[in-house]
Amino acid sequence: MTPADAWLRLPAWTQFAVFVAALAALWPSPAQAHPHVWATIKSELVYAPDGSVTAVRHAWTFDEMFSAFATMGIKAKIKGQFTREELQPLAKVNVDSLKGFAYFTYATMDGVKAKGAFDHATDYWLEYDPKATVLTLHFTLPFKKPAKAKVLKIQVYDPEFFVDFAFAKKNAVKLIGAPPLCAAWTEKPDDPHFLSSQSLNKSFVASEAFVGMGAEFANNILVQCP
Amino acid sequence: MKNRRQHYVRHICPILLAALVAAVALIVQHHAAWAQSNLFGGPRPVAIGGIGGWVLARQAMFYQELAGMIRAARDNGSALWGLMGISFVYGIFHAAGPGHGKAVISSYLFANEETWLRGITLSLASAVMQSLTAISIVGVAAVLLGVTAKLLSNTVNLIETASYVLIVLLGARLLWVKGHGFFGALHDLKAERTGHAAGSDRHAHANCGHTHDASCNLHSQAAQVQNPVPAGISSAAREPAQFHCHGDHRHHEELEVLPWGHAHGPEPEQLAGPGGWRRGLSAVAAVGLRPCSGAIIVLVFALAQGLFWAGIASTFVMGLGTAITVGAVATLAVGAKGLAKRIAQKPIGRGGVLMRGLEFGAAGCVLAFGILLLTGYMASERMGLF
Repeated sequence: MTPADAWLRLPAWTQFAVFVAALAALWPSPAQAHPHVWATIKSELVYAPDGSVTAVRHAWTFDEMFSAFATMGIKAKIKGQFTREELQPLAKVNVDSLKGFAYFTYATMDGVKAKGAFDHATDYWLEYDPKATVLTLHFTLPFKKPAKAKVLKIQVYDPEFFVDFAFAKKNAVKLIGAPPLCAAWTEKPDDPHFLSSQSLNKSFVASEAFVGMGAEFANNILVQCP
Repeated sequence: MKNRRQHYVRHICPILLAALVAAVALIVQHHAAWAQSNLFGGPRPVAIGGIGGWVLARQAMFYQELAGMIRAARDNGSALWGLMGISFVYGIFHAAGPGHGKAVISSYLFANEETWLRGITLSLASAVMQSLTAISIVGVAAVLLGVTAKLLSNTVNLIETASYVLIVLLGARLLWVKGHGFFGALHDLKAERTGHAAGSDRHAHANCGHTHDASCNLHSQAAQVQNPVPAGISSAAREPAQFHCHGDHRHHEELEVLPWGHAHGPEPEQLAGPGGWRRGLSAVAAVGLRPCSGAIIVLVFALAQGLFWAGIASTFVMGLGTAITVGAVATLAVGAKGLAKRIAQKPIGRGGVLMRGLEFGAAGCVLAFGILLLTGYMASERMGLF
């Protein structure tokens, strides 16, 4: 009996159930959203002399295709090279648009989610790398209320997943002016093989300046201070 | 009465069971995403594991390969073949995500009496139209006008809104037509239960409750040919706006053995004639008007590389890939509809009501998708940071 015969011998309602189940599986769900923008994150956490965190400084590098799309129609004096000034209007558009998405940046302090933790972005500009033909968006997110936290978590993600974020492979996180013995590292939130507790112990290496874990796909920045 | 209960067990339970299976499949699918998102405290609605994650990873890989292929094609003509291959496969995977009309087209097909061939044709036509829209937008906006990305995105948003309005209209129209069928059949069933209808009226009702546009008219004319009908009946049948027809008694025995008291699948005239292909076109237009964001970005990138024509070719091939995925979903929808029909075939009263209920529900789905998309509760795609 061929599989086709076997299939035809099934009762109609079984066939129907199979069809409907397959249909349901293929049905588009929000979880199947697909990104058209890839952004590589490098972030710095800025601290005040008293040890409270005051700002997050992001540098997001976009993929080549999106960079080409974003720069379309922008006049450049030298073809294929955009200056910071030429890109400034676009930087403003990007930052203004990001405001509506909370800059895709979420802070948790000592386990408490800080809602609306950030003020509007400042010091924003775009940088064009003519060799790699990619854009990098720089901007600073000041904390509304600078605060001290033993455990600070910064998450970067697009809840709708139209932008796919990943940390840079090297030096993804940097602490600026943080108290000594503060340690920073990054986490892979979606790796099914990732065990948070284990890696917490392993990667907890005290460092003063920066620790870039080199995680390939991660978007949790964690800072622990004594 | 006993007979009817047997019918119930044999024919209606399986449909309910299948609906349950579908519900479970949907819940499992969504739950996987929810579980993932809550694992690390962040509301990240993306399942990286499982089939969804695999599709997503493939998709991202092919998309990034597209960039390399377009660049390679600039220096080396033979890279074009590779570009076409990648575009095709990318289209297949890409269409697994929302925004390519799978939901609207499959609901539309389920609500209507459609053949598999028509389902495939509709899928292909809407995919080709999506490609054409993307090419026209980029062609006019980027090549001719030299607009910025923000202006282009705004234009796309405007076109998207128009597409969603069309989906709402399509859904509303379907709901109206299917509502007549469903509530008509429901009314008849009630009449049957109370024992009022003494045979004649209700079967004729069941017959014409199954009206798509002009089919009532058509069918009654067919009945006229078969049986000489009193004059009063044909006059009622000639009134297409009125969804009630009063058939004759002699026809009734013949009808009893037929599903829904409506003997045939789609009449060829019904499909190809007025309201047939045109009706399908409205679905194609509603879905196809909305361009695929991926195609737009690929086109702009190709343009920046000085290879716009390669972008155009890639977009069409991508559309073919998309058509395959949408066509697969359409096939399932048509197949499920056909099977449901077979299952509920025998009991003329309840099975018919159930089928019309399902059609009514599918029509409601189309309307709901349109409304959700239009009000922004269901995002299909976003162009990034504009």
